[in-house]
Amino acid sequence: MLGNFGYIGIFLISALGFAIFMVLIPPILRRSGIVPKKPNPTKSSTYECGMETVGKSWVQFNFRYYFFALLFVIFDIQVVFLYPWAVAFKQLKLFGLLEMLAFFLILVVGFIYAWRKGVLEWK
Amino acid sequence: MNLYLLAPEISLCALALVVILLDLFIGRKWILGAVSIAGLIVPAAFTIALWGTNETSFNGMLVVDQFSLFFNLFFLVSTALVLLSSTEYASKFAAFRGEYYALVLLAAMGMMLMASTRELISIYIALELTGISLYALTGFLKDPKSSEAGLKYLLLGAVASAVLLYGMALVFGLTGTTHLEGIKAAISAEGLLASPALLMGIVLLVAGFGFKIATVPFQMWVPDVYEGAPTPITAYLSVASKAAGFAVILRVFYEALGPVSLDWSIIFAVLAAITMTLGNVVAIWQTNIKRMLGYSSIAQAGYLMIGLATVSALEPGAIGSSGPSALVFFLACYALTNLGAFIAIIAISNKIDSDEISDYSGMARRAPLLSLALALCLISLIGIPPTAGFMAKIYIFSAAVDYGLIWLVIVAVINTVISAYYYLRVIRVMFLGAPLSEERVPSSGALRAALSFACLGVLVLGIYPWVLLRIAEAAVRMFP
Amino acid sequence: MAIALEHFLILSAILFSIGLYGVLAKRNAVAILMSIELMLNAVNIALVAFWRYVAPTLLTGQVFVIFIMVVAAAEVAVGLAIIIAIYRSRETVDAEQIDLMKW
Repeated sequence: MLGNFGYIGIFLISALGFAIFMVLIPPILRRSGIVPKKPNPTKSSTYECGMETVGKSWVQFNFRYYFFALLFVIFDIQVVFLYPWAVAFKQLKLFGLLEMLAFFLILVVGFIYAWRKGVLEWK
Repeated sequence: MNLYLLAPEISLCALALVVILLDLFIGRKWILGAVSIAGLIVPAAFTIALWGTNETSFNGMLVVDQFSLFFNLFFLVSTALVLLSSTEYASKFAAFRGEYYALVLLAAMGMMLMASTRELISIYIALELTGISLYALTGFLKDPKSSEAGLKYLLLGAVASAVLLYGMALVFGLTGTTHLEGIKAAISAEGLLASPALLMGIVLLVAGFGFKIATVPFQMWVPDVYEGAPTPITAYLSVASKAAGFAVILRVFYEALGPVSLDWSIIFAVLAAITMTLGNVVAIWQTNIKRMLGYSSIAQAGYLMIGLATVSALEPGAIGSSGPSALVFFLACYALTNLGAFIAIIAISNKIDSDEISDYSGMARRAPLLSLALALCLISLIGIPPTAGFMAKIYIFSAAVDYGLIWLVIVAVINTVISAYYYLRVIRVMFLGAPLSEERVPSSGALRAALSFACLGVLVLGIYPWVLLRIAEAAVRMFP
Repeated sequence: MAIALEHFLILSAILFSIGLYGVLAKRNAVAILMSIELMLNAVNIALVAFWRYVAPTLLTGQVFVIFIMVVAAAEVAVGLAIIIAIYRSRETVDAEQIDLMKW
């Protein structure tokens, strides 16, 4: 059992070494003169491709995001039940299928409810 | 798998879905209340049709016996009374009536499942189905007080269910099964009687279920939640949710943990004494009637727990039935009484828009019948004849005496005397105080129907309790 | 040294205690919800460990864990909805300031 931890140790050390190595490459290349120093405005910007941030990044998100997130979480987590059902589908036969349909019917009622109440619209 | 055994629950679920869909597609919202109340007839009819069966289904997870059918009817009747008393109150949240009715129905379905399952996973699911519906209902008014009550109820409820789950995990780990009969067999077979880990699991289970029935030290949510929640939901919490807690405790502790009854019955005896004393003493200082009834319901849970404690005097493993049957009978009497009191309060507060006891001054002249009904229910809560509360107390006290719990009965009697003070104070304010205005307090037909049913029940059970007593005895007969 | 049942149970007990401490000590309502999640996950660890070491032939332990996860998600969704309602009316989610009612 202890031997198994040996592999984890090797993995940890090599991962750490790789990360340190990647950080050290640019300064080493610079010092050794392999890479020339030619700064220009585009090169020294924060993102060479992408948008500069406007204002602080600690902004509050719109309330609407939370409703979408809540809805997503509810429907997302129900999918957990689908995996065991799918694995055992052949043994469960028709009864399993019908039970899953009943389960989905209830979820669909919830979905219709959210839809009609306008939760899915961005106002 | 016999789906017919599950028919009451399935029809109730279908009813809730129909109410949600109707709410989306029709304009006249009063129909929703009518459909919800009338629709309850279907599960009730299935329950009565199933009366007398004693079968299990779904791999022993679902059990249909006298006990579960009795509680099915119990929950359906109290749900009907709560819905009747909500019809007028629902104007406070006119846009969300459909959700309100549907959530009440789903909570009722959870409670019915709680009484009729024999397996820890299903118990947890049923408990949470009830719990989550009630959290949402508690915060339903969306004013600061109601949301605060909802948040407190949810946070404490979630902690309680985590503790309960930890206890369930321990019991599962020790016995290797989640079926109550399997647990019982494993406890006897594997010599777990003196296992400290099992004792730990039992304590955690008591803590988790204790939250549902609001026993000390898990009672702190009660006053805040009762005050902040919509009043019909307060009534629902104090009656149906509590009864469901007791039903599931009876199931789990008598069916699975019977062999170690010495361990848990003494816990319940001590908790009963502390719970009733704390509830009654703190109730004396309350000025808000919903808060006062909250503490009163804590005290009543204390009396009810006497029924759980009545096994301690027996041999280990031997369990008598007069304690459980007294408990079930007490629950029915308490339910009618407390629902009656809350319906009267709903009717009065719809008009005067206040829950302060001082605002009830001279109510007997403004609403004579409502005040009389409220007085009757309060007298029944004290336990004065000829009301249901008197019979319930006599029966549960005599069960305790039979099992040698004299000290607990003495504590309970002293508590009854203390409780008379604050109940009678409300009656004095209503009948002897000067009216704050001459305006009459009218009430709707639905409220009057519900209130008459409750008061009639209180009187009938106080004078002629024998029929219900027989049913209560039949309901608990299947406990070994 | 082999990893045995008791190691998982100790881990689960520690996680449960950390969660309970968080519930009692944290002031932000969202942080309290997160602590409750920690308690539930501690229970999940205990259940899976018990399943593996005590009753590996039954799937009870795993099924229990799936149900706990789903129910916990529903609970958190309702909790966050109530917190949003409180935040709208009061501009705070600090548990110590949510104190309109006290005995």
